[in-house]
Amino acid sequence: MLEIDSEAAAKILVKFIRDTVYKHHFKNGILGVSGGIDSAVVLALTQRALGSDHTFALLMPYKFSSADSLTHGKQICDQLNVAYETVDISPSVDAYFDRFATEDRVLIGNKCARERMSVLYDFSARKKALVLGTSNKSELLVGYSTLFGDSAAAFLPIGDLYKTQVFAIAKYLQVPDEIIKKKPTADLWADQTDEGEMGVTYNELDEILFQLIEKRKRVEEVEKMGYARATIDKIRRLVINSQYKRTMPPVAKIQNRAIGVDFRYLRDWLK
Amino acid sequence: MRIRGIQFSPALGNVEKNYDAHERHIKDAVRDKIDFIIFPELSASGYHLKDIVYDVSLAPGSDMIKKFEKMSRDIDILIGAPYEEIPGIIYNTALFFSQGQLVHKHRKVQLPNFGMFEEGMIFKPGDNFKTFKIGDFTAGIIICREILFPVHAYLYYLQEVDFLIGISNSPVRGIGEEGFAPSFKLWERLGEVYAVNYHLNYVFINRTGFEESLCFGGGSFFAAPGQGILKKAAYFDEDILDFEINKEDVRISRISTNYLRDENPGLILKELKRILNA
Repeated sequence: MLEIDSEAAAKILVKFIRDTVYKHHFKNGILGVSGGIDSAVVLALTQRALGSDHTFALLMPYKFSSADSLTHGKQICDQLNVAYETVDISPSVDAYFDRFATEDRVLIGNKCARERMSVLYDFSARKKALVLGTSNKSELLVGYSTLFGDSAAAFLPIGDLYKTQVFAIAKYLQVPDEIIKKKPTADLWADQTDEGEMGVTYNELDEILFQLIEKRKRVEEVEKMGYARATIDKIRRLVINSQYKRTMPPVAKIQNRAIGVDFRYLRDWLK
Repeated sequence: MRIRGIQFSPALGNVEKNYDAHERHIKDAVRDKIDFIIFPELSASGYHLKDIVYDVSLAPGSDMIKKFEKMSRDIDILIGAPYEEIPGIIYNTALFFSQGQLVHKHRKVQLPNFGMFEEGMIFKPGDNFKTFKIGDFTAGIIICREILFPVHAYLYYLQEVDFLIGISNSPVRGIGEEGFAPSFKLWERLGEVYAVNYHLNYVFINRTGFEESLCFGGGSFFAAPGQGILKKAAYFDEDILDFEINKEDVRISRISTNYLRDENPGLILKELKRILNA
C-alpha cells in the first residue's frame, strides 16, 4: 500500500530540489540536521542535487538534546562530505527563559524549534543558501510540528512522503543504519519519541492516513479494514485541527483582489 | 513527412523567454530539413497560469503571432498558447502555422477543473473537433485531457484523419512500487488504441520541468497506424522526438482490420439520440 519505488522517488526529488534552488536564483541549499532520519534524507537528496560544495548543514543542539543526535548529525554530514557548523542554541534559549521561566516542556520545545529557525534563516542569508525543510507528510498531516519553527522553510522536498516511505528511501540513499534504526524523536526531552507523543505507531498512522487521504476512504470503510475506530477518529481530528498549520494566514478580504483569495499566482511567477 | 516533437520546459509566464526557445528549436528543425515541428500544450506561456493568464495571452494579429507566421514560411509549426480571441475571452488553444499564416486553431474542449487543475477558472471551453490539412495528411488536434475521452479521437477518426496530434501538460502523480509508470501508461495505453483501432499516425508531445510542486513527466511518443508505439522520448528530461509518417501505413492498417469500413456512425447517432431522449 505504502510501498514505493525509492529510486524513482529519489530521482524526482533531486530534480525538484535542483529546479527550485536554481529557479529562485540560488546555487546553495542549507538545512538543519538533527541526527534523525528526515533531515538525513533531505541532506542526502540535496547533496545529490546541488553537490557537496553547495550543500550546508547546521547542527543546533540544546542542552537537553541527546549526545547521539549530534554524533549522528556529524556522521551523515561526513558521509556525504558536506560542510556543517555546530551552533549550540542553549545560551540564547536560556537567556529568554531566565527572564520568563517555565517548566512546561512544550513551551521549551517550541522555543528551541523557533530558535533553530532563526539561526537557520540567518545562515541562509550569510551563505546565500535556500532553506530546505525536512517535514514529512505524516507529521504535516497531523500537525506534529512547531508553527514557524521546524515548519518554516522555502520548500519541503519530502513533504509528500509518509514517514514509512522516508525509511524506505533512507535505505536507498544509504543513510547509516544507526540513524534508520533509532526511534524517531523530536528530541525535546530525554526518552521522548514521536510515537509516544502521538499515541500511535508510524505504521498504523501512515496506513490510516493513506486510506483516508490518498484512497479517499470514509472512516467506516477504514474501520472495516481492521483499524480501531478511536484511533481513526483521533487521527482525523489531528488532521482537521492542524489545517491552520498547512495554509498561509488568511487575509481579511475588503478589496476586489485579496491576497490568497483572488490574487492568485504561483511562486514560480516569471522565474 | 519528417516531424519533430519538442519536449521541453516552458518558463511560467515568461512569453519572451519561451519565444526564444521556440525560435531556437524552429531554426534547428529548418536546418535539419524537418517539415513540421510540434510544441506541447501552452508552450508559449507555461501551465499553471492562474492570474498570470491575463498578462500573457496571445491576441489575434499580435506581434508574437506575426513572428510565428513569418517563421512558418520555412516549416509548419504547432504551438500551444492561451489565446485571447475576443478581448477578455481566453481559450487554451493549439495554433497551427503554415506557409506564412495561422491556418488552424483547436480550442481545448475539456478543461480539467479539479484537484491540481484550475483550467475552468481561466479558460472558456472550445466546442468542436475540426480537421485541417498538413501537406497530404488530414490532421486533428486533441489537447491533454481531451485525449483521455476516446470519443474525441473517434470524432476525428470518422473524419478520416490519418494524423492525430496530442499535445499535453501532464504532471506525474501517484507514486507506487512501479514508480510513476501509471502516469505514463495513462497516455501510452490510449496512444496504442488510437494508432491500432483508429488506423492513425498518432503523436503525443508532453512537456517536462517543474512548476512549484508539479513535475511534468515528458514521455512523448509516436505510435504508427496498426502497429502502436514505435518511438519514445525520455521520461522527465527535455528531449527531441523525430519521426516520419506516411499514408500507406494508414491504408494497410485500414484494409488489415477494416475497423473504419465497418464503422457505423449512423447507428451510434441513433443510439445517442435514444439515450439522450430516454
